[in-house]
Amino acid sequence: METFTFAQNFALIALNAQDSLHMPTVKKIAVRCMAAAAILECYMDHGFVMQGEQLTFDRTHLNRSGLPQHQRAVLECILGKKASVQNTLPHFLEQVAHFSSRKLKTIERSFTDYLKAHDVLEEIPNLLGCDMNYVTAEVSMREYRSDESLYARLTEGLRAEILEDGAVTDEMLLMLWLLRESSCLFDLFSEEEVHQVASRMNEIYYENALAKQLFVVEIHNSWEFFAKNFLKAKKQTFTTPVGIGVNFSFPFLERSQSIFIDVEAWFEGKENRLHDVTARLEKYGHHYTILREGTVPLIKIDNILYEAVPTIFQSKVPVQGMRLRRYPQAILK
Amino acid sequence: MSRQRSMEKILASEYVSIGELVRLTGCRYSTLKFYTEEGILPFEQEGENLTRRFPREEAVARLEEIQSLKQQGVCIPDIKQKLAGS
Repeated sequence: METFTFAQNFALIALNAQDSLHMPTVKKIAVRCMAAAAILECYMDHGFVMQGEQLTFDRTHLNRSGLPQHQRAVLECILGKKASVQNTLPHFLEQVAHFSSRKLKTIERSFTDYLKAHDVLEEIPNLLGCDMNYVTAEVSMREYRSDESLYARLTEGLRAEILEDGAVTDEMLLMLWLLRESSCLFDLFSEEEVHQVASRMNEIYYENALAKQLFVVEIHNSWEFFAKNFLKAKKQTFTTPVGIGVNFSFPFLERSQSIFIDVEAWFEGKENRLHDVTARLEKYGHHYTILREGTVPLIKIDNILYEAVPTIFQSKVPVQGMRLRRYPQAILK
Repeated sequence: MSRQRSMEKILASEYVSIGELVRLTGCRYSTLKFYTEEGILPFEQEGENLTRRFPREEAVARLEEIQSLKQQGVCIPDIKQKLAGS
């Protein structure tokens, strides 16, 4: 079984289902955190010269053999034209919040080139391309998909280590902070579990020197964080016991959370409706597993869970179809 | 605090944590927790917190056995009975 570095593992979680062609706000946040992961990885591998709390990095260190490409890309962005830089770990990490889109693109490519070459990351048509509006407009979009088995091992391993009693490794501590900063905790943990995670983080904060240094650091760009959290708040506001209703009612607010697939005929049975959905997914090259059948089937598509809800799209002529809406991963037992 | 163990080290050790068992087998955490609570996955408890640790070879073999039985269509209560009898 091939293993990857800490930062590459985080990239596999952060890049899954992200737009691969453009740099939307959500991806900017993810790539900034990937850059922070590369700095932390370099720190854990003793890539900095340490004098007390001060870390020094010299341009000559870039020539070191075996330096992973993603670390080189991030360190070059930090160095700029300087011969060497000296700072504390929190200050190095805070710098990623000010990286330009061009730098973020370079960093993204340094990760994706390696992961694609090792067949654990691929570019596939974006799931939104299956939406009736996009199909009829022939809009082509692409997204990343992480290797399904590796993605499950990484995310489930993280959940196991943090939700279970016992020692937490340095990697898990750093991963938790990265998930918090990329605001991805809700993607992996249910609302109830997030409270458990928060109290675990508090415990770790008082026990661990690295956590004390790290947990107070915030690397997000305020505007980007606001934009992402606005979408999350909107989703939470309208969450009902049966699902996340607002994306269903107002899909235009966050298209990627709600995909409408039209069905062939009116008043189709549930089997035929599901067949139409899976046929569309197959046509666009998506991997899917049906986890639950019935009136509202649960389908795992490219590592993400979706409920398929029968609905009608109101236009001049009403169109019957199924709306795929995101389903929290942690709820699945 | 400690560093995460590499896969080589995990594969060479007698006991593994639940997180390491997830990494080894690819099973969901909630599935392993369920099997543990149902008493069909062997484990020991250690330390002040009684942290669960799993005998690696035995636990991996047991999981393969459970998965094979599930593929044959055997339900969990029957798997429990079968494993208790073996």
